[in-house]
Amino acid sequence: MYKALFDMKTTFIGLVLLALLLMLPQFLPRFYVYLFALMFAIALLATSLNLVLGFGGMYQFHHAVFYGFGAYAFALFATKSGLPLWLGYAIAPCCSAALGLVLGLITVRLNKLYFGMLQISLGSLVWAITYRWYSFTGGDDGIHGIPLPDLVGSSVGAYYFNLTVAAVCLLLMYAIVSSPFGRVFQGIRDNPERCRAIGINVQRQQLVGQTIAAFFAGVAGTLFVTVEGSVFPDLMFWTLSLEILIMCLLGGWFIFLGPALGAAMIICLRTFAGIYTEYWTLILGLVLMLLIFFLPEGVLGLFLHKAGPAVRRER
Amino acid sequence: MKKHSVFSICLLLMVMVCLLVVVPVSHAGKTLKIGIVDCYSGPASTYTNDVRDAFNMEAEKINAAGGILGRQVEVLTRDSKFKVDIGLSAAKELIYRENVDILMGTINSALALAISDMCKKEKVPFFATFSKSAKITGEKGHRYVFSITENTALAGKAAAVGLAKKPYMKYWIAGDDYEYGHAIADGVWNNLKTLKPGVELLGQSWWKVGEPDFTPYITAILSAKPDAVIVATGGRDCVPFLKAAKATGFNERVPFFMHTATELSTLKPLGLDAPEGVIGTSNYFFYYPETPANQDFVKNFENAYQRKPAVGAVYGLLTARYIFGAFEKAGAIDTEKFIDNVEGMTVDSPIGKVTMRAFDHQAMLPMYMGVTRKKAGYDFLVADEIMTIPGDAVMPSIEEIKKARKQ
Amino acid sequence: MELTANITLAALLQQVLVGLSRTTILFIVASGLSLVLGVLRIPNVAHGSLYMTGAFVTYSVATLFGQSALGFWLALIVAPLVVALLSFLVERAVFCHLYEREHMMLLLFTFAFSLVIGDLVKLVWGSDYRSLVAPVFLQGSFSISGFPFPRYNLFLLVIGPLVAAGLWFLTNKTKIGKIARAAAVDREMVGAIGINVSWVFAAVFVIGCYLAGLGGALVAPTQNITQGMDHAIIIEAFLIVIIGGLGNIWGALLGALIFGLTDSIGILLWPQFAIVFPYVAVVTVLLFRPKGLLKSTW
Repeated sequence: MYKALFDMKTTFIGLVLLALLLMLPQFLPRFYVYLFALMFAIALLATSLNLVLGFGGMYQFHHAVFYGFGAYAFALFATKSGLPLWLGYAIAPCCSAALGLVLGLITVRLNKLYFGMLQISLGSLVWAITYRWYSFTGGDDGIHGIPLPDLVGSSVGAYYFNLTVAAVCLLLMYAIVSSPFGRVFQGIRDNPERCRAIGINVQRQQLVGQTIAAFFAGVAGTLFVTVEGSVFPDLMFWTLSLEILIMCLLGGWFIFLGPALGAAMIICLRTFAGIYTEYWTLILGLVLMLLIFFLPEGVLGLFLHKAGPAVRRER
Repeated sequence: MKKHSVFSICLLLMVMVCLLVVVPVSHAGKTLKIGIVDCYSGPASTYTNDVRDAFNMEAEKINAAGGILGRQVEVLTRDSKFKVDIGLSAAKELIYRENVDILMGTINSALALAISDMCKKEKVPFFATFSKSAKITGEKGHRYVFSITENTALAGKAAAVGLAKKPYMKYWIAGDDYEYGHAIADGVWNNLKTLKPGVELLGQSWWKVGEPDFTPYITAILSAKPDAVIVATGGRDCVPFLKAAKATGFNERVPFFMHTATELSTLKPLGLDAPEGVIGTSNYFFYYPETPANQDFVKNFENAYQRKPAVGAVYGLLTARYIFGAFEKAGAIDTEKFIDNVEGMTVDSPIGKVTMRAFDHQAMLPMYMGVTRKKAGYDFLVADEIMTIPGDAVMPSIEEIKKARKQ
Repeated sequence: MELTANITLAALLQQVLVGLSRTTILFIVASGLSLVLGVLRIPNVAHGSLYMTGAFVTYSVATLFGQSALGFWLALIVAPLVVALLSFLVERAVFCHLYEREHMMLLLFTFAFSLVIGDLVKLVWGSDYRSLVAPVFLQGSFSISGFPFPRYNLFLLVIGPLVAAGLWFLTNKTKIGKIARAAAVDREMVGAIGINVSWVFAAVFVIGCYLAGLGGALVAPTQNITQGMDHAIIIEAFLIVIIGGLGNIWGALLGALIFGLTDSIGILLWPQFAIVFPYVAVVTVLLFRPKGLLKSTW
C-alpha cells in the first residue's frame, strides 16, 4: 500500500525534509528547538481539523474542544492516576475520540452552519464545565508542572518526540485520506446527494471522520503538554478554534500539508511580531483580511494556480 | 507536481525560520537583562502598566548613575494578552533567546504559576509582581520565585484583623466564582473566625466572572439581613459591582468589605458616582502616608507619566530596588549569590521599609484598610479612616508555609 | 452543590424582571446580527466588536459633555450613528465584493476584522477601564415588594419593546423592509426586476451594525467598558440567532428571552452552574428544531 501512496520522487524529498528536521536541534539555539517542537504539535492539530474541514467539507467550528480535552485528559492522567505515562499518551487521544463520537452523534444530523453552531454550543458547554470544576480540573488556574521524564520533557527530547509522533500521525492521516474511506469522505464533501443516491450513509461516514479527527486532535493535545508542561481552559475556547481554522485557510485547505504550513506561519508571526509590537493581532487581522480578499485559495493557491478538487460553493 | 511544491515550500519555510536566528537578539555588549511578561491588552493593563512604568523609572535612575556593576539595565517586555499559552511562550523566548537574568510578571495567576514552575527548572529568578495566588510563595513556592505583591492569604488575614475590630457578627460571603474569589473569601473568613470566634456565616452567593447584572444577588443578600458582607471580586468585577451597589443602594443598607475597593484603579473610573462607606484594603494610596518618601515618589511618577501612581507602581518600584540592591550587594552577576542576598533584604519605599522574608520569599507589605468617602479636592472617592496593618502581622506563619509545602 | 433556599414569589418576580432587562440588550444585538446573517448571509463575528465600539463612543461623547444627562442622551443617539457610518464605509469598501463568497471565508474574514477593530479600539482609547454614569433621572432604584430594582433596568424594559416594534415596522411595513426580505430569499430575482440589490444590502448591513452600536450604547452605564466585551457578547448573540431562526426578528426576541430568562432563573436555582443553563437550553432547542424555533430566511 505504501507504494500506492507515494512515488519515488516524493519519498526522496520527504526523506530529505525529515533528515533535515532530525539534524536541526544540533545547530539551532534552544528557543528555536522549543518553537519547532510546538509547531509540530500545532501542525498536527491543524491537519486533524483539515481532515473534516478540507477533505470532509464539514463546518467544524469548535475543533479546539477535542484538542483541549485530550490535553486535559493527559494532564489529569499524569498528575492524578499514578499509572505509567506512556499509557496516558494512548488513553488521552481515545478520550478525545470518545468526545468526538458523542458530540458527533448529536451534531452530524445537521449540516453546514447549523452543524457548526451546535458544535460551538456543545463545545462551549464542555469548556464551561471545565472552567468551573476547579476541584478536579484546576478551573481557570489550569494544571501546571506536569511531571514528564527528561527523555520527552527536555527541549530536545520534546522536539524529537513531537516530530516522531506528528510525522507518524500525518502519515496515518494521509493514508486514511487516500484510502477508499477517504475517497468517499471527499465525495460527500463534493456532492452529498449523489452519495446518498448510491447508498452511502452520509451521516455515518461523517461521524467516523469526526471521531478520527478528534482522535488526532487529542494526540496534538498530548504533544502540547509534552512541550509546555501545562494545561488551561484557554485550550478549549472558541477563539482557538477560529485560529486553527485560520491556519488551515492560510496554508491552503485543499492540500494535505497546507494546514501544517499555516500553523507554522501563525506561530512564527505570533512569536516574532510579538517581540516588536503589542498590536500584532492588528497585523494578523489585516493580513488575513487581505489574504481572504485576494487569495481565497490560501498561500499555496498562489503557488499552485490550479488547485485540486475545488471546495464546493455554497448555495 | 503538487506534492513536490509543498515540500519545497516547507523547506523554504524552514530555511526562513533558521534565518530568523539572526533576528537581532538585542544590543551587543553586556547588559543586565530583565524580562517582564504581563498582560498589556484589555482591562488588566490598567494595573500592569504601572508596574512596568515604575520599574522603568527606577531602571533609568540606575543607568544614569552608571548601571549595576558596570552594566546597563535593559528591560524587555512581552504581552501575554492574558493568555497562558502566549505568556508561557513569551517567557520561554525571554529565557532561551534573550537570556534574561531575571524574569518578572504577571497579573494572571495561572500564568505566574506556570512561569514559576519553568523558572525552577531553568534556575532563573522570577518575581511575581501582581498575581494574587497564595500558592506562588505558599504551596508551590521554591528558591527561584519571589513575590512582591500581596496575595489572597495576606489580604485575607489583613481584612480579618480589620473586620475583627468592627461590631459585625453575622456575615454573608459573595463573590466571583473562580479560584481567586474563593481564595480571598476563605482567607478572610478563616482568619476572622480565628480572631473572633463568635462570627456566624449566614450564607454564600457566587456569580460568574463578568456577571452582567448583580441585582438578583444583591436582593438575595439583602433579604438574609446580614450585619456585613464580604465581597470577593476579582479586578474585573470590582467596578461593575460597586456600580450595582450604588444603583441599588446596597452600600447604604448593609456595610460590605471588598478587597481593593479603596484602590485608585477601582475608584478612579467611577468618579464621584462610587458608593461611599465601602470597606476596602489596599497596599498603597498615593495620598497616604504623607511622608516625604511617598510624596517624592508620586511627584516623580506624575512628572514622568502624567498620572498618579496606583498600587502597581509600588510593586514595580520594590521589585526594582530588590533586584538592583541584591546584585550590588552580591558584587557579581551570579544567580545563587543574588538569591542569597535578596533573602531577608530590606529596602526603602514610599510605604516605608519592606523586608523580603527569607523563608518563603514573600515581601512583607503593610496593608491599609479604609472606607470610601468623598473628599474635597479629588474627583473620585478616596479612603478615609485609614488603619495600617503592618506587614509582619498579616504574613502566614512559617509553620503554615511548611505545612502547605509539605515540608 | 448549593440550591438557594428561599425562592419567594417576590424574588422570582424580581429575577424575571432582571432577566427581561438583560433580554433587551441581547435582543438588540442579536437582531442586528440576525438581519445581517439572514439577508446578507454573512456570519458577522465583528458584530461584537461594533457593540464594543458603540460602548466606547458612548463613553467618549457623554464624557465630552461632562457625563451629564444631556451628554448621555446625545451619546445614545450619536454613538450608534457613528458605528453605522463606520460600517457603511467598510461595507462599500470591502464587504460588497464578498457577498458571493463561501460562508466559512466570510466567517474568518469577519473574525479577522474583529481582531483589527479590537486593536484599533485599544489604540484609540487605551486599555484602561472606562465607566459611564447614567443620567441622574435613571440612577438609583425603585422598591418592588421591598427589593431594589434599578431604574436603569426599567428603562431597558421600556426600550426593548420599542426597538422591537420599530424593527417590525421597518421590516414589514416599509418598502425597503419588504425588498430586504425578498432579497434574503432570492436575490437574483430581486435584481432581475430592476432593484439595485447592492444598495439594499448596504442598507441592511448598516441597520444591523447600527443595532450593535445601540446595544453597546445602552449597556455602557451598567458595565465596565473594556476590551473583551466583544468576545463576551458575540457567542451569546450567535446562539440566540441560531435558536431563533436566521433573519427572523421575532426569533431573535424569542431566543433572547430564552437565553436571558434561563440565565436568571438558573442563578436562582443553581448559582454555581448557572452559566451552563443557557447553553443547555440552546442545545435542547437545536436538538428538536435544528433550524431554529421560528422560520428562517434560508
